[in-house]
Amino acid sequence: MAIGVKVMKRPEREVSYVRATLKGMALTFRHMFRTRVTMEYPEEKSTRDDRGAWAISPRWRGTHRMLTDEQGRSKCVACGLCPQVCPANCIKLVPGEDEQGNRYPLIYEIDEFRCVFCGYCQEVCPEEAIHVGVHYENAEYGRDRFVYDLERLSSQTHPVSTLWDPTDPKGE
Amino acid sequence: MADELVNVTIEGVALAVPKGTTVIEAAKRAGILVPHYCYHPSLSSPAVCRMCLVEVEKAPKLLPACVTTVAEGQVVHVNSAAAKKAREGVLEFLLINHPLDCPICDQAGECELQDYVFQEGRPRTRYAEFAKRYNPVEDFGPDILYVPNRCILCTRCVRFMEEVAEEPVLNVSERGDRAYIGISQRQALDHPWAGNVVDLCPVGSLLSKDFLHKARAWDLDKAASICPGCTQGCNISIDTRDDVVVRIRPRPNLEVNRHFICDYGRSNYRWLNRGDRVEAPLVREGDRYVATDWDTAFTRLQQILDGASGAAVLLASGRASTESLGLVRRMLEGFALSAAVQVPIGEEAPLPGIPGLALRRERAPNLLGAEWLGYDRDWDAAMRAVGDAAVVVVLDADLTEPELATLTGASGVVILLATVASTSVARAELVLPVTTMAEEHGTYVNRDGRIQRFEQAKAPPGMARPAWWIAGEVLEGPGSDASAPSTAAEAFELVAEHWPGFEGVSYGDIGFAGRLLTPAMAPSPSEAAR
Repeated sequence: MAIGVKVMKRPEREVSYVRATLKGMALTFRHMFRTRVTMEYPEEKSTRDDRGAWAISPRWRGTHRMLTDEQGRSKCVACGLCPQVCPANCIKLVPGEDEQGNRYPLIYEIDEFRCVFCGYCQEVCPEEAIHVGVHYENAEYGRDRFVYDLERLSSQTHPVSTLWDPTDPKGE
Repeated sequence: MADELVNVTIEGVALAVPKGTTVIEAAKRAGILVPHYCYHPSLSSPAVCRMCLVEVEKAPKLLPACVTTVAEGQVVHVNSAAAKKAREGVLEFLLINHPLDCPICDQAGECELQDYVFQEGRPRTRYAEFAKRYNPVEDFGPDILYVPNRCILCTRCVRFMEEVAEEPVLNVSERGDRAYIGISQRQALDHPWAGNVVDLCPVGSLLSKDFLHKARAWDLDKAASICPGCTQGCNISIDTRDDVVVRIRPRPNLEVNRHFICDYGRSNYRWLNRGDRVEAPLVREGDRYVATDWDTAFTRLQQILDGASGAAVLLASGRASTESLGLVRRMLEGFALSAAVQVPIGEEAPLPGIPGLALRRERAPNLLGAEWLGYDRDWDAAMRAVGDAAVVVVLDADLTEPELATLTGASGVVILLATVASTSVARAELVLPVTTMAEEHGTYVNRDGRIQRFEQAKAPPGMARPAWWIAGEVLEGPGSDASAPSTAAEAFELVAEHWPGFEGVSYGDIGFAGRLLTPAMAPSPSEAAR
């Protein structure tokens, strides 16, 4: 049984691919002379200082960092406000007392998988100890490595978030 | 009381109070809190903190509400501009030397200074450039630390030791802004009731070493309970954090313990946190115990009770609730029963300032309740009866080594209703896990015949159930019989209908101040009023 095929009679210039190809290539070649917008991550990384198009915001809320005092001890006094305020319930804190009678955290753990990075812990901290970090590279080989203990939190070196200041909403 | 009534208006609320009532108490009746530090209903009022200053119309100056008695037609303003300004000033003075260490202070969250400053204090300090006074932390006694920096010199602790404990070891030393609470030399704050100064302290100046850094106030769950320490029956609050009891604090009951509990009761909570609890019914098979479910355990229990006849011995702990004592006793009604309640004996420690309040010698909170339910105090006689008994039931009693040996040598069947595993070494046919008093609702009858309810403070471990539930299931027969009690209130009804001493009493009318019952005297409902 023969199949009826309808053949459209169009002008040659409309069905030719040459014109479309040239049009596409023209666009491609035009982009070669434009300024580059791609950053070659991870060979190239943004830093906070360059403030360029790819600079990460100083208000970025990434994985945590615990600040330490001059003696290298964490500034945390185990007041218990961050586990209280944490909406994701990801902070585990057990307070203890050192030889001088100072209150300090025996156990301080943040489960970064549970964390929703709201930054409330930094906001509530009366000692300016726990901070959310301006940091986004968190790959690990195992899930258990995402529970950051006090030592890990204290040894982080990335910059800390400035958070959003309602009295200075534009960060000026 | 046929007292003369005085009409006053406090914050627009008109009320009539007996003559001689202080303004602060009258305001409390009107439901208005006058902020205060030095005033405490169980202590004298020196009016030193100046926090309770209120505006009284037609009075030339603000008056301290804690010592001013009400007068006819008085109009009092607690929250007027003048009174608020005065409180703001007082708070500012208190904060001059008060350290900003709320994050590490145990009182944070239940601190009256924190509360009032938050409510009506100045938002900013005017003393930023001056260094705060500093004094080191002092060790006052076995369980008490004094942090002088936080002290606001309300002198509640001094007055408690002087007037209530009648052992004046504390004083106010120095004067002016150098003043601090001093302790007399060569003496320690070791009175058996001294721990109350920690509760009395409105700030975090007097701290319990036991509770130090243990939990934050806002982490705690509180349950109204009755102290299981002695026959006094002090009202307590069991504070738990994640189902672990972290402290015991007094709960006011003007009829029993006012605002105080003794240090023995305060520290008597570690047994509630024991980890070696029986968590499932254990049935003996040969030489070993096999954990089973409740249905199997009940079948076995029923078999034992049906198969035995003659004499039975019931050895009960003095900490068992009225419901448990009553229903377990009813469970054994078919036997010639000798029931005994265990009464550990300790030393009596009275609180001189409050007549009728003491840590009693008999360390069994439900001794009178047990006696009303037909339990005997003669423990040794019951132990002697073990040898001839067909059934021996132990209700959570703490057994000594020789007593365990007696049980092991018993010819009858031994059934343990136990909280901790260590009691199960006796040759028991059946070990049934029961709850402690912190894990169940119940009632205790104190030495005055006051029946008081206690609430569940934490979850029971594993399959542990109240002893009244076990007895109730047996009494009402096997299976899910609707008539078996499923709440402590229903269990109490079963007890009340059986023993005339509890007749006509139900959970609803015991209330939280308790109700005075005496088997000789008909209980009067007016006793429930505080």
